[in-house]
Amino acid sequence: MLEAFNFRVILEYMPLFLKCFMATLWLSGAGLLGSLVVGTLACAMRISRSKLLSGAAGVYIESIRSTPLLAQIYFFYFGLPSLGIMVTEEMTGVIALTLNSGAYMAEILRAGVQSVPFGQIEAAVASSLNYFQRMRYVVLPQALGVTIPPMLGQAIVLVKDSALLSLISITELTRAGQIMTSERFMPAEGFLTTAVFYLVIYFVLKSVAAWSEKRLIFHESR
Amino acid sequence: MIIFRKVHKWFGKLHVLNDINLAVDAGEVLVVCGPSGSGKSTLIRCINRLESIQKGELIVDGMKVHDFKTKMTKLRAEIGFVFQQFNLYPHMTALENVTLAPTKVRKIRKQEAMEAGRQVLEKVGLGDKIDSYPAQLSGGQQQRVAIARGLCMRPKIMLFDEPTSALDPEMINEVLEVMRDLAKEGMTMVVVTHEMGFAREVAHRVAIMDVGQVIEIAPPEEFFSNPRNERTRLFLSKILRH
Amino acid sequence: MWTYYLTQLVHSLPFFLKGLWMTVAVSGISLVAGTILGFLWGIIRTRRSKFLYHLIGAWVDLIRGTPFLVQIFIVFFILPEAGIHLDAFPAAIISLTNLGACFICEIVAAGIRSVPWGQKEAATASGLTQLQQLRYVVMPQAMKTILPPLVGQYVLLIKDSSVVSAIGVMDVTRAGWLTVQRVPQGLMVFALVGILYFIICYPLIRLSNLLEKKMGRGTTSF
Repeated sequence: MLEAFNFRVILEYMPLFLKCFMATLWLSGAGLLGSLVVGTLACAMRISRSKLLSGAAGVYIESIRSTPLLAQIYFFYFGLPSLGIMVTEEMTGVIALTLNSGAYMAEILRAGVQSVPFGQIEAAVASSLNYFQRMRYVVLPQALGVTIPPMLGQAIVLVKDSALLSLISITELTRAGQIMTSERFMPAEGFLTTAVFYLVIYFVLKSVAAWSEKRLIFHESR
Repeated sequence: MIIFRKVHKWFGKLHVLNDINLAVDAGEVLVVCGPSGSGKSTLIRCINRLESIQKGELIVDGMKVHDFKTKMTKLRAEIGFVFQQFNLYPHMTALENVTLAPTKVRKIRKQEAMEAGRQVLEKVGLGDKIDSYPAQLSGGQQQRVAIARGLCMRPKIMLFDEPTSALDPEMINEVLEVMRDLAKEGMTMVVVTHEMGFAREVAHRVAIMDVGQVIEIAPPEEFFSNPRNERTRLFLSKILRH
Repeated sequence: MWTYYLTQLVHSLPFFLKGLWMTVAVSGISLVAGTILGFLWGIIRTRRSKFLYHLIGAWVDLIRGTPFLVQIFIVFFILPEAGIHLDAFPAAIISLTNLGACFICEIVAAGIRSVPWGQKEAATASGLTQLQQLRYVVMPQAMKTILPPLVGQYVLLIKDSSVVSAIGVMDVTRAGWLTVQRVPQGLMVFALVGILYFIICYPLIRLSNLLEKKMGRGTTSF
């Protein structure tokens, strides 16, 4: 099989792969940003003292975590039109990714905020720092150390999740592989090239995660 | 029983054992002391090959420990090792801790092993704690279980690596008592410790190590009252002051 | 109008339950096989063989760096080129088992590494063989660290099993996808799909949280 591996065809399709690579990047990126916004909001609601807000956020987070992303994607893809809301597939995809990732971000943020030992906050209050000063100098620097690595992990997950968007006809990296399969009957060349592109993103993100952990451990061990 | 012949060991660039020549007879109690970093822990850990030597010969009970072909499981069954940090299995009771090796290594039947285990635990003064978990025992009690764990294998040699260094002062004596009784019964023992009172009373010989070498080795009367080496004198003056 | 679709949906319930059964079958078999394989790889990874450590590590990285959908496509479309023809069901099981094994492998290795070094020394010093050490001393203690994330991983695998619907396996997600072609009420159909996954996943998530609390309390201070 390997002798017949057709590099020339891959080269021929490279423009398509590059276009899809960019699509994957911007879809994941949009999902990441969106999920940070949604996640922050959901986290704030979850840790608030209002039982209503906390409960609502809880329902959102648990529903997302107990159901598969693919079902959520189909939910929006087939569901939004039945409500009369017509959006592009890309928009649907980003919405699904955002809402899915947002729930996990909310939990990551919650763990981060709760990881700062209460004694630290007491010490800060005792030195008469106000709320914003406490946040800026005591809570956030330490919470960041706990949240950045899992957030980078979530970024990796988002990139892999974006592959599912190929199933609702969005032209991204996995779809490129499918196109090569259907147009040229070359699934090996198609999907292996796809895999290589994903691995590139994976190793870049992993290095960033390792680098950030080195810098943040300094923060914690003092 | 234990013979070190021209033994050397390096940790990277650090020459942690430097030309060790030592012999321990059957029934002898040898106490090894010295400043930290002198290599005394490493020395004792080489005897049952928890650490390996790089040069020289180490013969224990007739078996060549330095030879990689020698299978250590048989030899280790004849050597009991007591750690500074006890290292009791937290998920097992005291009785289970002491019967694990006899049943699995010596293949003794469970009933027999449990009977023997109960007796040994009685001997170290913990007959009423056989069903307790390590977390429920004090440091001194845990260390005594650790000693019992070694004894249940009916070893020829007992090795102690700073057995009381991790204990609160009030518990040190109960452990030393057990070790004293063992020595009286004629057990071959090598003990790394700072407890000089024990050394004076119980040891047949005391050795002091510094920077990987055995500086002096003599019976306690000579060692404590008339040390030949300057460094020994210095070490003794520091350690006996408190 | 709405009630018409609702009754249609209710009529389709047996169809969904068949799909649910398929989801349980696919996940169940993959979980068991993946656990066995994952424990094996995880134990091997903690041994002294550097070659095996890096070999398994490379494979795990490959699987964790690419989307599951792409992996399934590779198994389903590319293996036939090498002469191995698989139906959708076996292909799904193989891919999901492999995915599970890779993640479980890391969980197990971390658990084994968490057992204090002194425990292994004490076992060695008593004359126990490596196998005996693993069985009586190391694994019982490692399980405390392994169990909570293991159950969490099971939840993830059940959700990932929804992706096998892409190669035609008739699971709950596919049931929904087929139904929505006749009953164009995406929201209702996939809400049902979601509920069915929720029924399986939510109890497991609660179990994982419970285990985390129990195991955390049980550890003593050495």
